[in-house]
Amino acid sequence: MEDTLSDAQSLAIEAPETRLRPMLEIAGVTKRFGEHTVLRKVSLSVQPGEVVVVIGPSGSGKTTLLRCINLLEEYERGIVTVDGEPIGYRLDAGGQRIRMLERDIVAARAKIGIVFQSYNLFPHMSVLHNITAAPIRVKGIARAQAEARARELLAMIGLSDKEAEYPVRLSGGQQQRVAIARALAMDPKIMLFDEVTSALDPELVGEVLAAMQQLARAGMTMVVVTHEMSFARDIADRIVFMDGGVIAEEGKPEQILFSPRTERVRAFLKRYNERYRI
Amino acid sequence: MSSFNPLYHSFWYLLRGAGMTLLMAGVAVVPATVFGLVLALAQVFGRRLMRAAVVGYLFLVRGIPLLVLLTFAYYLLPLTGIDLPPFWAVVLVIALYYAAFMSEVFRAGILSLPAAQWDAARSLGMTRSLMLQVVVLPQALRLAAPPFVSLCISLVKATSLVSIVGLWELTMASREVVERTLAPFQIFIGAAAIYFCICYALALYGRHLERRAILGH
Repeated sequence: MEDTLSDAQSLAIEAPETRLRPMLEIAGVTKRFGEHTVLRKVSLSVQPGEVVVVIGPSGSGKTTLLRCINLLEEYERGIVTVDGEPIGYRLDAGGQRIRMLERDIVAARAKIGIVFQSYNLFPHMSVLHNITAAPIRVKGIARAQAEARARELLAMIGLSDKEAEYPVRLSGGQQQRVAIARALAMDPKIMLFDEVTSALDPELVGEVLAAMQQLARAGMTMVVVTHEMSFARDIADRIVFMDGGVIAEEGKPEQILFSPRTERVRAFLKRYNERYRI
Repeated sequence: MSSFNPLYHSFWYLLRGAGMTLLMAGVAVVPATVFGLVLALAQVFGRRLMRAAVVGYLFLVRGIPLLVLLTFAYYLLPLTGIDLPPFWAVVLVIALYYAAFMSEVFRAGILSLPAAQWDAARSLGMTRSLMLQVVVLPQALRLAAPPFVSLCISLVKATSLVSIVGLWELTMASREVVERTLAPFQIFIGAAAIYFCICYALALYGRHLERRAILGH
């Protein structure tokens, strides 16, 4: 079993064209806020187990792209599928885009985990309750089973002693790790991370990145929007650079970070390095 | 102290009046809260026509004094064929009146919840009604609790108006005693003290809820 899995993975790495169907497929997504076009026909496909890191200047559409994937944000054109299943819109026989029924959208969304910059834990619930609420209420999992799973996840992120605490009593890094556990408790097919360390004190960033690294090693498919370039280099299978609502360049981490092909990436990295090099 | 004899002798009578005041307020506050919540949800989540209807209702009710509404209901309801016992008629009017104010309190609670909480709930696959039950209302109602208690205090005091249309409660009882004893000062001090005790207890409870809301759980 183990062997066939790793065979399939090595095959996928050696021969990209023969890969199985992508875990995430974004096809021609266009998003406008009023007159302003935030995303212009963005297409991106992410393979099972792949970690794609999205970088780019602020306002380039990274966060919006992430929020369009699970339809927290509406988009005017294009479709998104996860593991072959459409999320918000599907195409009819004539190629016309049709919005799915609200209950189908809700069900589809449950397969996508997202972690936000501002944690967004539920302040009126204990840590354990934060993690079990959706599995119990959305998936109908028995309380005992949901709590057992939540405790496993808490152990994984090193917060077993905090299950009875309320979010206000936790540090930002701890809250963000709970947010990761909360998303994982729904057994998502893919995890999205939206600048999850940007609101953290520098000394708390490491613990959150470590949890994400662990998740990536466990084979989770991930799309990560971040400004942490060294983390991007370590964790990414592929880096996507966005600018002005389009994917301006993509490639292996070393290629994007050390020998970018486009002037836009070079300029971005130069600004980044000037800001963060002391 | 002998000048307070009239109060001393009628104190039990006044307390019975206070019992009626509490009964009336207690019965009115339930439909007021339920209807207020319905109005708030309709205003936040309803379609345009629904929202317009709710806003119209709020402006109408808030623009008319409760005393006028009570009198109106008392004299005009029977003419329209709606024959409610006076107690239920005034309870209904008070409930409909306070529902308008309560809906504003609840609406403020719902709207003051950060959009990020909605995002988090939605991203976990919750339907709108689950989001309301599990995430939004528990927090919104906690935020709304202190002003809600203020409204309850106001409602308790507003029941004194029903004595105008002949219902018997603390204020009416006091007026009866005054007519018998000709000691308005002493009797109304007693009535005021009783109202104060009821409202002070509620206010303390409101403070308690406020502290809990600030602590976050």
